[in-house]
Parts: sequence; structure tokens; C-alpha cells
Amino acid sequence: MSLLIDARTLHTKGNLIGMVKRMTIASIKGIVKRYKDQIALDYVDLDIHEGEVLGLLGPNGAGKTTLIQCLMGIIPFDKGAIHLFGEEGAVFNHVNKKKMGLVTQEITVFEELTAKENLEFFAGVYGLKGEEKKQRVKEALEFVGLSSKAKQSPNKFSGGMKRRLNIACALTHRPKLLIMDEPTVGIDPQSRNHILDAVRKLKEQGTTILYTTHYMEEVQSIATRVVIVDQGQVISEGTVDELIKNIQHEEKIFIDVNDVSTIPIERLQGLEGVKQVQVSGSVVQIISNAGAGNLDRALSIVKETSGVVGIQAEKPNLEDVFLTLTGKQLRDGEDDPS
Amino acid sequence: MRELATIRFIGIRMSRDFITMLLLLVVPIILITVFSIILGEVEGHTGTPIRDETVVLLVLGFQLFGGAITMNYVHQDLFAERKDRLLSLPMNTRLYGFTIMLAGIVYSIVLGMILIAYTTIVFDVNWGNFIWALLVITLMSSLSSIVCLVFTFSVKNFKIAERLSEVYGVGMILLAGMFFPMPDNALINTFNDYVNPLMLAYSSIDQVRDGGLSDGFLYAVLLSVIIIIAFGLLLLTGRRRMP
Repeated sequence: MSLLIDARTLHTKGNLIGMVKRMTIASIKGIVKRYKDQIALDYVDLDIHEGEVLGLLGPNGAGKTTLIQCLMGIIPFDKGAIHLFGEEGAVFNHVNKKKMGLVTQEITVFEELTAKENLEFFAGVYGLKGEEKKQRVKEALEFVGLSSKAKQSPNKFSGGMKRRLNIACALTHRPKLLIMDEPTVGIDPQSRNHILDAVRKLKEQGTTILYTTHYMEEVQSIATRVVIVDQGQVISEGTVDELIKNIQHEEKIFIDVNDVSTIPIERLQGLEGVKQVQVSGSVVQIISNAGAGNLDRALSIVKETSGVVGIQAEKPNLEDVFLTLTGKQLRDGEDDPS
Repeated sequence: MRELATIRFIGIRMSRDFITMLLLLVVPIILITVFSIILGEVEGHTGTPIRDETVVLLVLGFQLFGGAITMNYVHQDLFAERKDRLLSLPMNTRLYGFTIMLAGIVYSIVLGMILIAYTTIVFDVNWGNFIWALLVITLMSSLSSIVCLVFTFSVKNFKIAERLSEVYGVGMILLAGMFFPMPDNALINTFNDYVNPLMLAYSSIDQVRDGGLSDGFLYAVLLSVIIIIAFGLLLLTGRRRMP
């Protein structure tokens, strides 16, 4: 047992050492931003590590965009410090801005320019010239699947294609830190998948990404770490699994049976950790403490007296984490993307 | 100086802005054509064909509205939907705003040149000295862009700024007596003689055309002084509002 504990401690220490060794690309320390009487960011602390996809979750008005604006040097902040690439107070520094890319929530491409000209504009501003610029523009178009549309104007594009071009504009200079502010809002599932694949590819190439979204399925599928913000404060952070564990107090087991009348409800209620047993139609619902391991036991008891038609165990997801922590619905009436 | 290099793309954007092109090039061409046909070869009391006076005033009058494209692009890129993206770029946004202004001025000058060429070739309008006419067009175009930007920076609501720019254009045309004759009022006369850019520009071209070089030069200097004052206002308002 002691050996086991030692091994676990060692493993945790290893992880910690690994975490420390990974370079912190951006470090936000005690940032405060006020708009007159309203506080938009309230002593926010946040680290973004090299190579990670950090999911930033929060309801509308939580302070996500303000945080991004402070990080990108778009707006000044009232208190605190931001360290970028190891430098303090370097937010408005053009050298650091060259290492960063912003994918805005709104589509901010130039409608009067072709897709290629749009990329050439941004590549030029980032200081690329000549053959290198041509090559990077070509690569960015290929990356977002718009090579065949290079000479077309974005006003002829679908919403998804415009979003992809919006992303490509932030990629020509190969940023070390890419900030994506809700890049998949209002687009079709194919374009959404294309964008999520692109994010995964960028991560594989070593780009550090700060990804904000309303859609928790996206965060669950791409983020290595999640930060939840609400009312200008970071209220929780960790991996998806860590966040779920933090709020996981109970699990629900649904067993669909042939004959409900024969089910020994008292025996099920007597299982350790079971809080409640309910019958609804042909389904027996068992609410149990998380980690009590009652799925097998409950199934065995039910099988003794009745045939089992179906079984389902429900565990909390990121949405439950969010609701538990903030008590708010995330999407504010938007349609589910799936 | 990569900000100045963006002038190529701003120019392409402006050249593909067909609504502005329609308003600042096609509409004046139609009006000039209609007025030229109606007025024919009729001469005014000075002996100059009325068509020449009207056409020159029309071309200069449309220059008053040339700044609209500058204010629109500055607003779109630095105050509205593209603000965050452009502010996140490694460039000086004030210099970028200045580049938009330069592009807007060049765009307006090019449209003015096309109109001068059209009126000269098709209706044989006498512009006097072409180089001088072009210089005056340049001054008018610069003033329009600067005034429109002052409005953009002075008021928070862009719609109001747009209305103010229209009031500027229409107001000067109105005071110049192009819609209907103005009363013989000392205040209006003084304003037209020393402040109204449309009348200063017209008088400058008219004087040079009639051989009055020094008077023509004087009107151009007055116009330049107004530009300098407006530019001072632009710096003051821009410093306060530019991101």
C-alpha cells in the first residue's frame, strides 16, 4: 500500500515537474478591467502553456472577449500584469504581436478583396515579403481548404467558407499563440468539423491555442485544459476530467426491464451509496453516489427477477460542470450545433 | 512603414466599391451630360459659356463628397467590425488611418481627373490650365477627406457624422447658389469669398483660366489655409478618438 502511495506521489510529482518545464507562453496576473462602475475582469489569473489548447468557457458577458482584448493589447487594463513570451508589460509590443494571431468572433475579412488578397494584406502587415509571402499565403489557403477559391471574393462564400478564411488570415505568419474567439458560431456541421480538425492539426504542429466557445462539445473534443470564467472571474480550471470529478457527486443508472412489478426495490435501496430508486414506466432509475460502483450490483439484482431490455448510466458532462459552477445556461438560446 | 504599403489593398477595395463609384462618378457624368445638352453653347454675361461654369462647379461640388469613402473605411476598419482584428496587428493604427486618408484622397483625385477628361473630350469644356485644375481638385479632395474625418472623430455616432458630412457638402453647394440664387447678403458673400471651399476652388480655376494668375493663386492659398486649419482640428480630434 505504501509502495502504491509512493508510486502515485512520484507520478504526480513527475507531472508537476513536466508542467513547470513547459514554457508559459502567456501569464496573466491579477488583471482588473473596469468600464465605469462595471467590473469586466476581477483580478483574473491565468497561465497559457506552450503547445496546449486552452478552452475558455463562460456565458455572455463573462469577460472572455475583454480578457482576449487585454491579452492582445487591444484595450488597456486598470491593474495587474501580463507576461508574454517571458516578458512583462509586452502586450503592446509589435515584436510580440507578430508571434500572436487573433481569429475574431465576427467575420473580419475584407469583402472587396479576393481570398488571396485578404491573406496577402495580413501577411504583409506581419512583415512577410516576396516568395515567402506567396508560399505562406498558398499554405494558409490549402490549410483551410480554400485553394480553389483563392481568386473569389468572400461575398460569394458561404458562412463556413468565410469563417475558414477568417481563420486563415491569422495563420499566414505562423503564430506561436493563436487566439480564437468563438470561431464556429453560426456555421454548418461540415465547416465546424473542418475548423475543429484544423485546430487539432495546429496543435500537432505545436501552436498554442486559446479557444473560446459556447459549445461545450467543442471544448471537450479539442481542449487539453479548460478555464471557466463568470462575472469577470476565473471560477475553475483544469482538464475536462478534473472539472467533472470536482462536481461529480452522484450518478444515475437507468435499467429498462420486462416486468417492473417483480423488481425488488428494497434490495436496490439497500445497496451502499444508493440514494434513491424510482420506477417510471418500464424503467428503474437508481441515483447513487459517484464512484460507488453500483452498476454491476444493481444489474445483478434486477436480472434475478426480470429480463433487462436496456441499460444506461449517466455521468456529468462539461455542461453539468458549468451549470453547477455558474448556475447559468451557456448558449443563451442558440441552437445546439450538433 | 508596412502601414503605408497597405495603400495598394485599400486602393483595390475602393476601386471595387461600386456604390461609391456610382455616386461619385456615374451620377456626375449623367448630370454633366444632361446639363451640357440643355445649356448648349449659351454664354453668360462674362462671355464664358454657362455650360463651362456649371460643369466646373459640378465637378468641384462632387469633390465635397469625396471624403465619404475615407470616413467609411476609417470607421469600418478602426471603429467598427474590423477594429479588434486590426488593432491586434503589429502596426501603428494611426499611420494606417493616415494611409486610408491618403488612399481616399488619391481615389477622389482620380475620379476628378476622369471627370475633367470626360468634360474636355466630350463637351469641350474649358478648364484653363489642366495642371492647375488638378491641383485645385487635389486641394478639394484633401479638404473633403479631412473634414469628413473630423466629423468621424468629433461625434460618437457614425450615422450623425455621415449626416454632418452631407450637410457640409450640400451646405456649401447651397451657399454657392447652385440650387437657387442666394440673397445679396454681406455675411453670405463674405463666406463665399473667403471660406466656402467650393467657391474658392471655382474662383481659383476661373481666375487662372482668364489669365488672373495671382488671384487664382490667392484663392488656392485661402483654400490651403482652410485645409491647414481643418488638419489641425483633425489632429486634435484624432488624438482623442483614434485607437
